[in-house]
Amino acid sequence: MSFDFAVILAKAPQILAGLGVTILIWVAGTLLAAILGFLVATARRYGGRLADLVLSVPVEVIRGTPFLVQIFLLYFGGPYIGLRLDPIAAGLLGLTIYGAAYYAEIFRAGFQSVPPGHSEAADCVGLTRMQTILHVQLPEMALLVLPPSMNMAVILLKETALLSLITVPEMTMTVQAIGSQQYAFVESIVVLALVYWALVELANFLGRLAERRLSTYSA
Amino acid sequence: MTWQLFELLLQASLMTIFVSVTSILLGLAFAIGLSAMRMSGLGPLVWFARIFISFFRGVPLLVQLLLIFNLLPAIGISLSSLTTALIGLSLCTAAYQAENLRGGFEGVPRGLIESAEMAGLSPVQSFIWIRTPIALRLTFPALVNEAILILKSSSLVSVVGMIELTKMAQNLAASTYMPLPIFASAGLIYLAINWIVAIAGRRAEAALPGLPAK
Amino acid sequence: MTQPAISVRNVSKRFGDTLVLKDINLEVPRGQVSCLIGPSGSGKSTLLRCMAFLEEASAGMIEIEGEALGFSEKDGKRRRQTAAELRRTRSKIGMVFQQFNLWPHMTALGNVSMALRRVRGLGRKEAEARAMAQLVKVGLEARAGHYPSQLSGGQQQRVAIARALALEPTIMLFDEPTSALDPELTGEVLNVMRALADEGMTMVVVTHEIGFAASVGNNVCFLDHGQLLFHDTPETVFAAPRHPRLEQFLDTYLDRGAQMLR
Ligand SMILES: Nc1ncnc2c1ncn2[C@@H]1O[C@H](COP(=O)(O)OP(=O)(O)OP(=O)(O)O)[C@@H](O)[C@H]1O
Ligand SMILES: [Mg+2]
Repeated sequence: MSFDFAVILAKAPQILAGLGVTILIWVAGTLLAAILGFLVATARRYGGRLADLVLSVPVEVIRGTPFLVQIFLLYFGGPYIGLRLDPIAAGLLGLTIYGAAYYAEIFRAGFQSVPPGHSEAADCVGLTRMQTILHVQLPEMALLVLPPSMNMAVILLKETALLSLITVPEMTMTVQAIGSQQYAFVESIVVLALVYWALVELANFLGRLAERRLSTYSA
Repeated sequence: MTWQLFELLLQASLMTIFVSVTSILLGLAFAIGLSAMRMSGLGPLVWFARIFISFFRGVPLLVQLLLIFNLLPAIGISLSSLTTALIGLSLCTAAYQAENLRGGFEGVPRGLIESAEMAGLSPVQSFIWIRTPIALRLTFPALVNEAILILKSSSLVSVVGMIELTKMAQNLAASTYMPLPIFASAGLIYLAINWIVAIAGRRAEAALPGLPAK
Repeated sequence: MTQPAISVRNVSKRFGDTLVLKDINLEVPRGQVSCLIGPSGSGKSTLLRCMAFLEEASAGMIEIEGEALGFSEKDGKRRRQTAAELRRTRSKIGMVFQQFNLWPHMTALGNVSMALRRVRGLGRKEAEARAMAQLVKVGLEARAGHYPSQLSGGQQQRVAIARALALEPTIMLFDEPTSALDPELTGEVLNVMRALADEGMTMVVVTHEIGFAASVGNNVCFLDHGQLLFHDTPETVFAAPRHPRLEQFLDTYLDRGAQMLR
């Protein structure tokens, strides 16, 4: 048995293109998920008991079901209710909704960690509710929510690989296609695994760096 | 969506449960082994455990499964899709569980290890009879959490040819042209199983003997 | 022959730059109760832990019934003993900790029978019978099936004593066995220790219970800033304290029992 990695590496430009799609969907999906999750957490906190109850349902459903089932439902089931999306749009939407449920929980814990006295004090100074949330509560919870947020970002990076199953031309799909063209399945998957491994370790490193920055900054 | 279709999904979910439970338990055994390696103080073992954990936490499960599925036959080991799925899932969860257990092992109060030492237990005996059970007790909620994660991740083993809940839903969706109700039903079944696991986990947590005093 | 149970020779211990024990020399006679007293931070626990080799002395030698513990001496050089050598010497010692240190995942009976099964290799039945006998001795046979979290502090400490006794040590070391207990629970533990002393067990007890030291102790050692300042009978130490450090210490810690002796 001999492995030939040269045929895979010869396709580096294509792999890089796939990597580009992966990173683009990942970064965009994570940012959108964090924003949506923050909005959901805010609505649950300040929208009254009904909003809290109503919003808890999608959050729990999304957290309780596999991402794969969610994107299948969206991509294959969507057209039946008039939601016709191309793979990239479906993938990005799916990743955003999925991530948002988890970010909503992260920020919910964050809101709970901020002592109520602080926001009341801000209310008295005459800041609006949204100003208080953004300028008082968000910075106060930053140190607490940063580690799980970075962790979630890494999870989302790995979940992007599943988008290959709804034909999003990201890295996993690209490299697999190269592997079957060149009859080099094993080599292609090994390369793929190594690239993800490097990417995740890099993301972990950046996460730790950000944590250290933030903790010295707020100390 | 008929009852017959739903029944097919329920049947397939038995495979999901079987694969998940087996992987969790195998993964737990591997994770304890990895923890032992990491705490052995023997350079090569420590490094093996570190690299193993980093790799399996750093690569998407989908890619791990594809790797095992393609690599093993290429080097002359042919396995059934069930075996491939179990190896993939249990190695992956082993890495995560080892990471959870690390905190548990660190949380075992020093005095408890010293009293084992004074009772004449060797380091290996102390690891087996004292440190591991206490670390498991301390990290039990994380284990329940991991069980739920693996249950959801088991949806990926369809890529190595296993027919479990997600794959069955895919097949039925393709043949009946009813993806919406079918995937929604599959999702509901996952939700129900997870819900049961979470409740059973909380019950078990309450029934377990107390935690070591700080 | 009057070989001491424990002999401590020129033992020093440093943690980093601080010298915590300074050239300690001490012989613990067999069959007697020796109490270690002294202000907080004076090095009592450290000395006791050295006697069990839970702490390695930086210099000096410790012998248990004539056998070197932890380090062997050869041509004036110290050599670290093998794990098996250490375990053999250490099997003569039972240790009771301030925090009880019971294993939380085992019942009282499980805690006491553990080493009998895994170290002594006894069968389950025999190990549990012997463990039960020890629990009877500390008055806890009715609690055999309870987990530590279901026992009071005093009961936990008595189980810890039973656990140490199950291995039939000839020497028992106690590190402030009652200071983690509510005052009303110290009595039951001290009673068990008193009974043990009456049986002729060799005991070394680190304690702030001056009353116990005065009434049960045969010897009292006073440690201050890592130095062994006194080593004498309780009568001498408590009735006529001659040293200003000791007087100062007794003024702080004296309880009623010792007050009466005075
Ligand atoms: N592991 C350690 N590392 C560094 N310093 C230590 C360590 N253990 C003890 N010390 C120091 O050694 C000194 C003696 O501690 P030791 O615990 O023996 O005192 P003690 O007489 O038992 O006090 P107490 O009555 O409070 O229990 C203290 O100054 C303590 O801070
Ligand atoms: Mg002490």
